[in-house]
Amino acid sequence: MTKRNIYLSAVTAIFIFFIDHHLSAQTPSDAIMMKAKQACVLLDYNFSSFDHYWEGEFKRDNQTIGTVRRHSWMPMMAIGIFNDLNLFVGLPHISTSSSNPNGGKFAGVSGFQDLTLALKYRWLDKGLGKGRVSSFATVGFSTPISNYLSDYMPYSLGFGAPELSYRAIVQYEANKGLYVRAAGTYVWKGYTEAEREYYYNNGSYFTAWMDVPSAITAELVLGQWLLDRALQVEISYWSQTSLSGDDIRAYNAPQPTNQVNMHRVGLFAHYFFQPVPGLGIVAYHNRVIHGRNAPEFNTIGAGVTYFFNYRK
Amino acid sequence: MKNIKIYSLVSLLLILFSCEKDLPIYFEFQGYEFASTDPNGGSWTPILISEGSDISIPAPEEVTSDTYVQELEDLKFAMAHSAEEDDKAVAYWTQNPIIRWNEIALELIAKYNIIPGPNPDGTYPSPDPASPIGPPAFPFAHPPYAVRALAYLSVAQFDGLISAWHYKYQYNRAAPFIQDESIRPIYRDNITPSYPSDGAVIARASREILTAMFPLEANYLAEQEAEHLRCLILSGVNVQSDVDAGVMIGDAIAEVALTRAANDGMKNAQAPKSVSDSLAAAALDRFGWQWINQEIPQRPVGLTPLYGKVKMWSIENVEDTRPIAPPAIGSSEYEADVRTLKEYEKNVTNETRRIANFWQDGLGTYTPPGHWNEIAIRYITRDRMNPLRSARTFAYLNIAMMDGGISCWDAKYYYHYPRPIQTIEGFTTIAGTPNFPAYTSGHSVFSAAGAEVLSYIFPADASTFRGWAEEAAISRVYGGIHWTFDATVGTAQGIDVASYTIAIAQNDGAD
Repeated sequence: MTKRNIYLSAVTAIFIFFIDHHLSAQTPSDAIMMKAKQACVLLDYNFSSFDHYWEGEFKRDNQTIGTVRRHSWMPMMAIGIFNDLNLFVGLPHISTSSSNPNGGKFAGVSGFQDLTLALKYRWLDKGLGKGRVSSFATVGFSTPISNYLSDYMPYSLGFGAPELSYRAIVQYEANKGLYVRAAGTYVWKGYTEAEREYYYNNGSYFTAWMDVPSAITAELVLGQWLLDRALQVEISYWSQTSLSGDDIRAYNAPQPTNQVNMHRVGLFAHYFFQPVPGLGIVAYHNRVIHGRNAPEFNTIGAGVTYFFNYRK
Repeated sequence: MKNIKIYSLVSLLLILFSCEKDLPIYFEFQGYEFASTDPNGGSWTPILISEGSDISIPAPEEVTSDTYVQELEDLKFAMAHSAEEDDKAVAYWTQNPIIRWNEIALELIAKYNIIPGPNPDGTYPSPDPASPIGPPAFPFAHPPYAVRALAYLSVAQFDGLISAWHYKYQYNRAAPFIQDESIRPIYRDNITPSYPSDGAVIARASREILTAMFPLEANYLAEQEAEHLRCLILSGVNVQSDVDAGVMIGDAIAEVALTRAANDGMKNAQAPKSVSDSLAAAALDRFGWQWINQEIPQRPVGLTPLYGKVKMWSIENVEDTRPIAPPAIGSSEYEADVRTLKEYEKNVTNETRRIANFWQDGLGTYTPPGHWNEIAIRYITRDRMNPLRSARTFAYLNIAMMDGGISCWDAKYYYHYPRPIQTIEGFTTIAGTPNFPAYTSGHSVFSAAGAEVLSYIFPADASTFRGWAEEAAISRVYGGIHWTFDATVGTAQGIDVASYTIAIAQNDGAD
């Protein structure tokens, strides 16, 4: 791998990490590793909005909330500890609000969401036919960093619970730069503390603690390197299935105990500027196409990346 | 190197998986020996009937009769063949099942406290008691509905138990475990006269009242009642004839309570638009303002405009408790409050947010009256109250809060005062603005009335209850959905309304 290609890989790695985290708090899902002593920083901005959501399986709008908007800034860092082991750190800052007019007049919120740490380990990397197959295992951990209220949906910054994820990734890249990648994740989600001592979750709960359902996710990506590996484009499908939880009740607010399922498709591109070594940009769009107790999120985002050696 | 990685991974996993919590779905307490047995409880003054002996039951069989002896044998057989699930049920119900039926009521309130959403054409459907399945399902268990359900439940339990106590100490038929020493009761029940069964009175009266209030839950409630009645025998405290006599009292008192409920004016509370519009027009004419719903699409009628006309429990004329008029829109007092609210809006602190959420008790929850019932549960069990004393506490708590709600709704639709989001341009809230006028705050009146009754029953804790009531009142101002004077005047209104109920309680013979 040339130095430039390593840089590009790092950008991809960091990108995939944050984009998943924004919507579902996942861990690095790509098939790229940075070598020891290399690091990459990224500043990402994205904007999500929805004006429809699924209440159980019923898709609806709700003028009480109008269109809900979500702006997110996220600084991230990926560090090559060893050639086969990378560390990821990220912390998003999010602000939410409703469009005007709306029938509810609820205040939006803003603040830092969850600090996320992840380790990615490559256990397989070898030639197969004319291409190359690689496989990875990642473990990620995230925890709320501010005292944001998770029980303030749909404006809350996140689920307000610690999460632990385990992911397996396998990728095959053909010799012309075409690649496919599949990943599966189990995400354990812990408990979030509401600011009330009673809630209903198919029955009474006399506690402020809410069990946030754990989930599995699946992802399939088709990608292509172009322009002598200066440009990378991907299309992707991603889904999440919660393993427990209740439905949003009729015309009622969601709560962290809900079973949140969704299917999402996305486009992604990143480009490396040749005149400035280490500098690149990413751009992406994705959209939830079907769900259960999920917003029909439509997201666009862009980011700036910088890659460097953090020690000789 | 590889080993270190694996070890750190494994230890991280272990730490996180050790955090699974057991979340409580009901109040966990051990059965207890009652602090008092109240042998004179049968002479206390009930609320719906004139005295305990108004309801009649047959005299029990002699304990030497073949019938009774056979009942004892049946009880011993049932206890000997009790399954593990039965033991769990016996432990769950305890010998103070007032707690459990109150919790069931809270659960159903939370289940049905769902506001109907708009139809695709922008109109709103209404729950229909004649066709409860909906959608939307009947009832919408909003706070006025919830406190009324709790009031009828608790009053029926209380009156039924006064009747049960009357006969217990008239007939003095000792409990099965006293008749036969081989019976080891599972409950530490020190109210030994067992005919009629107080548990059976509670089971039947509660089931009947709650079935009327939540008709779609008829099957669920019948199952709960059946399990509860079975546990009375499996616990060794009642034979079948004790239970049967208790059920008779429960049926009789539920009928009295439901007859009152059918005629208390609640069925007219959700007035048609014409009536609702005329109330708003009268306020505009009289005061120069009117509350207008701000939702999209706009709801044509506020919540229960005629709840202020529902028959009160302890007060003849609701207008005797009507507070003074709120500050005129645009007056200096009003403008000062606008500034106060904008300050709270701009500076949401950890503490104001916590208080706004803690007392919110909004849609989908057990409502503010439900919250005060949950608080009462903790103190009733702490003080090891017997079922009669427990029912008395809930009865006065809930009728005072219902009277408070009626008085509050009278003020709401008489003054028809706007909410902050209506008159402050661009104002936002951290709590949901309800579909009814602002003045006075329902939370404030419910909470003050509830706190006053609890302060009467548990005087050593009065300052705690009153502090909570004031916090509940100000929580609505922090939430951005009430004016400061809605809260302060509402608190005074709740204290005033509760004084009528407390005067009755002080003379019912229990003190």
